[in-house]
Amino acid sequence: MRRPPLVVIFVGLVLIALGETAGALMSQLRPQLAGYARARVAANAQAHGLAGSAEYDGEVTARAVYTAEAGLSFFHTHAQGLGPLVIFAGTVAASTVRWRLARGAVAALLGLGALFPLGYLAYSLAVLEWGRDAGIELAERYVLTPLGSAAIVGLVVLAVLMVAGRGRDRDA
Amino acid sequence: MAKFKLELARGARAVMLSRPATHGLVGVRDVDEQIIDEALVKFDAALRLFHLHAEGMGLVIIATTMTAATLVQSVGARRAIILLLTVGGAAYPFGYLLWSALIPYHGIQTGKAVAEWVVWIPFGGATIVAVWWLVLLVGARLVRRA
Repeated sequence: MRRPPLVVIFVGLVLIALGETAGALMSQLRPQLAGYARARVAANAQAHGLAGSAEYDGEVTARAVYTAEAGLSFFHTHAQGLGPLVIFAGTVAASTVRWRLARGAVAALLGLGALFPLGYLAYSLAVLEWGRDAGIELAERYVLTPLGSAAIVGLVVLAVLMVAGRGRDRDA
Repeated sequence: MAKFKLELARGARAVMLSRPATHGLVGVRDVDEQIIDEALVKFDAALRLFHLHAEGMGLVIIATTMTAATLVQSVGARRAIILLLTVGGAAYPFGYLLWSALIPYHGIQTGKAVAEWVVWIPFGGATIVAVWWLVLLVGARLVRRA
């Protein structure tokens, strides 16, 4: 087995470390995080459509805080999952793909796709700053979709290259 | 969990009913049912989190120890990192199992505090320290190569 480029391993490890640290911080600092989220919603009252009615505003704030917390939770789970995936897939690519250029392209796509979980951090912040629906849409369109697509394309290209490589081996 | 969901919930419920003071049960059905439901939701969630973290940490251990074994040159550092990652990563998910088991007997908050101090903080802390240590060593190697 060959090892993937060092930078891919590094990105995977940083992701795992961030995911684990985020899990611990979320558990220990839940009240502080919720307090910060509520303060940001209040500071961006217009973006959240707060109307000045305590009951309505309370409901809107609770929904936005819940969504922001969910974003952090998704960051934790996706970082922990995608970190090992990038290292494993990178190892498979380094070991099975013969063409150097293709190997580099797969490593680049996987390295870029590994940043996908950071999109959930952007999701959490965007929800608090620009409102729940607008924030989710912005994070999905500009961060989650491009980075997630890079990971998907990288994995699909790797699968195709593996099949193509096996075909060439048989022909030879 | 899928097969014995009902039995697990019934067992937890029976234990909770036998310890009304622990859970703050007052003997009024409407109030007690709400308290028991909340505890059962947490009991079930803790089991699910055990399932989720056990599967995730298994892969994290393999990926990180494989990396440490390949890239960390110092024997002492390599052994320490692999030990911390393996012991920390393998034990951490059992905190959720412990929490789940403690909820019917000691309540949600007490169970969580025990699981935190006995499992999550020491073993989760070991994993976090080891992963950041590994990140630093791999980062330093990356910088040297650059």
